Amino acid sequence: MTAGPTLLLAEDEPLMRERLLEMLPAVWPEARVVLVAENGNDAWDGFLALEPSVAILDIRMPGLSGLEVAARIGGRAHVVFVTAYDQHAVEAFDAGAVDYLLKPVQAERLLRAVERLRTRLASRPVDMAGIVRQLQAALPMPRPAPVKWLKAVVGRQIRLIDVDDVLFFQSDTKYTRVVLRDGEALVRMPLKDLLGGLDADRFWQVHRSTVVNVAAIVAAERLDAERLQLLLRGSTEKPVVSRAFTHLFRV
Amino acid sequence: MRRGDANYTVPVAGIAFFTLAVLYLHDRQRQDGWMPALVAASVVGGALALLLSVAWFKYREFERKKWRMLPSSLAAGLLTTALLRHWTPAILAETAMYILLMLVPAFAVAFYRQRQHALLTARLRDEAERERMARELAEAQLRLLRAQIEPHFLFNTLGAVQQLAVHGAPRAAELTGNLIDFLRASMGEIRSDSVSLADEFGLVDAYLKVMQARLGERLRFSLRLPDVLGDTRIPSMIVLTLVENAIKHGIEPALRGGEVDVEAALEDGQLAIRVCDSGMGLGAPSDVTPEGGADHGATGLENIRRRLRLAYDDNARLTLHDADPGLVAKLCIPFRSV
Repeated sequence: MTAGPTLLLAEDEPLMRERLLEMLPAVWPEARVVLVAENGNDAWDGFLALEPSVAILDIRMPGLSGLEVAARIGGRAHVVFVTAYDQHAVEAFDAGAVDYLLKPVQAERLLRAVERLRTRLASRPVDMAGIVRQLQAALPMPRPAPVKWLKAVVGRQIRLIDVDDVLFFQSDTKYTRVVLRDGEALVRMPLKDLLGGLDADRFWQVHRSTVVNVAAIVAAERLDAERLQLLLRGSTEKPVVSRAFTHLFRV
Repeated sequence: MRRGDANYTVPVAGIAFFTLAVLYLHDRQRQDGWMPALVAASVVGGALALLLSVAWFKYREFERKKWRMLPSSLAAGLLTTALLRHWTPAILAETAMYILLMLVPAFAVAFYRQRQHALLTARLRDEAERERMARELAEAQLRLLRAQIEPHFLFNTLGAVQQLAVHGAPRAAELTGNLIDFLRASMGEIRSDSVSLADEFGLVDAYLKVMQARLGERLRFSLRLPDVLGDTRIPSMIVLTLVENAIKHGIEPALRGGEVDVEAALEDGQLAIRVCDSGMGLGAPSDVTPEGGADHGATGLENIRRRLRLAYDDNARLTLHDADPGLVAKLCIPFRSV
């Protein structure tokens, strides 16, 4: 038995989520929904963990927007957007030849999208990053200002940390470990929720559970066939770059 | 000679002409008897009529130049007398009196017309102002209408109704009922300028129930309206717009959702309405209009402020401030007990 396509479904309204989940098996029996996310942060984090082949993303979600998640996914999955009716969005999607579903999703429209996905799955996914840039230009979305300060627990103190002083962030179950030149601290927020507030040009995610300050990177060296490790200025730890992110260091 | 000067040379020439006629009248009446005197009198009347009609139509110049016109008219009259008759003080004084008798009613006419014109201008300005206010109100209502029948809201709510109906869930009927309440109340409110607080809170309640059905446990809410305030009238849809902003910019973008509390109270003789949400707060990403400008519900807020100005001049206030967590929108308006 060959494994069918795996799906990620991200939608913030519970009834809409339920509706898509109930309709999908009927129109696409061979596909398997491996992850259901209620917001953009969970969608991206879950994508890294499970690497599904198809992502169905609501555009407006708490945390990362559907567009931002798609940009991060890049060319690693086939993306279908879900959006409430909006003339601007529809025009932008049509112009970008992007697949989308209008809410509330009706069965025949979903069937058509699934048929297109079946043919799309035969080839490599297109890289969404460029398309999303065009879409974002046409559809300005709420964008949080980058975080400047972090509140972190160090022993019995609450410390204010300038994000620029952070060498790297590492996921620690529900918290995030923040490694600094002169020690480390704990932020009471999971890394996946911290991610959206960091400037993506200065802080690179290199692993599902690691985000590195680019300014601190000295070199990347091969760890094994699939992974790299990073040498940092100011720390002896060597964060690992997982396969999903080695493209960042391709020369 | 400039055109404006021509307008006052006419009355000055009129005075000269008038003086001539009066002199002639004097002589004739004494020498020739009444017939020629009557002819002369009609010439005097004509001159007077000419002067008055100029005063009537050119009242503005008359008013503006009366201090220049008075001496030049006197000079013209006296000069005419002096040239044609004797240069005696008695005759000159008599001429001056005639001239003043002529000019005083002309100035009175000009003054009266000037007043009338000022009143008319003021009334027209008032009317224009009222018309502008009415137009602004109509525009505000149109914007409200457009904002209400937002396709996002309707489509997403209908999607939720459809999903509940698939399973024949009783909640489907309940949600439909709340949507109907909301639509009916907002249609009614859009058409009227003002609404009782009880009705406005009813509308807000229906809206929040619809949103709660859609957002599930991510939204909790409470409404507090003291009974004594139920009949107080406020401009329609204002509280609803604040609550919609709280949902759209506070609760919906928040990862864990939050709470919306709406409360009306009397504070220092003013009606204070607070809409608090525990969502993203002012520092949150602002919404962006399709045109690309930052919004953060600013269009809705601008609309509210405009309508408050229409209803209360500068006696109402809308303030927003960050709470921990979230945002508080506070509306203070003069309280009129019913």
